[in-house]
Amino acid sequence: MSSSLAPECSEVKERYDQCFIKWYSEKYLRGEAKTDDCKKLFDIYKECLSKAMKAKGIDTMLAEARKNSKDLDMDIGQSR
Amino acid sequence: MVKFYENYFSYDFAWPAVTLAYFLRYPNPYSSHVLASDTLSRHLDPTTGKLTTVRLLLKRGKLPAAVARFLPKIKESYILESSEVDIRNQTMVTETRNLDWEGVISVVENQVYTPSYSSHNNSSDGEKTDVKLTVKISSRVGSNAREKVADAASSGGLWASWTTGSIQKSIEVIGMKRMREGL
Repeated sequence: MSSSLAPECSEVKERYDQCFIKWYSEKYLRGEAKTDDCKKLFDIYKECLSKAMKAKGIDTMLAEARKNSKDLDMDIGQSR
Repeated sequence: MVKFYENYFSYDFAWPAVTLAYFLRYPNPYSSHVLASDTLSRHLDPTTGKLTTVRLLLKRGKLPAAVARFLPKIKESYILESSEVDIRNQTMVTETRNLDWEGVISVVENQVYTPSYSSHNNSSDGEKTDVKLTVKISSRVGSNAREKVADAASSGGLWASWTTGSIQKSIEVIGMKRMREGL
């Protein structure tokens, strides 16, 4: 698995990634997925990541990029 | 100004395997410049079965050593990657765009992955996946930037590197070029 931009989140990211890949290949790709089974693990990972992104100022960069890209096709789906 | 580039190719693997590989593609020995990838959001729509993912990729900028020495802050840059997998229609749509330099030049790459259909009987052969690639380059800077992009295009390297869809590499080339010009 790839590492996280925040080393302190690598462990929770790893756990989430493993869960996702298992769910994706064993349930989603077989058309059997009704819910996202890895939601809980994602929330833990997301909490860690959000803190790190704030500390590094990446959240601001992301928000600005999204704002600047409003005239472009930022959202997937609109671009086709 | 806006420029488009389009290409088609196919993988010798079935569509489900290709979509899985997409999520697992980092780390790999050929992309050692990608330092990290994080999932920012992931959503399964229970009614349509579509899975939407937004990821943030951190990559090492391949600036020439002489330049990087003076600009230590621009050693790394970020790529935003969105994807939507539609399991019912067997389609995956992806988009990658640069976050740095975005005000100067924006490079957006779209890919659509579908199972290959044989031309004879219109049925899926199941073993191949078609990819349609579109690259959109836009800049608010105007004609000045256009000339510079044209320079990069005429050098061959930039455009040649797009044919296999390695957008990160292309963005690096542009970033590197802009960096040289900035000095």
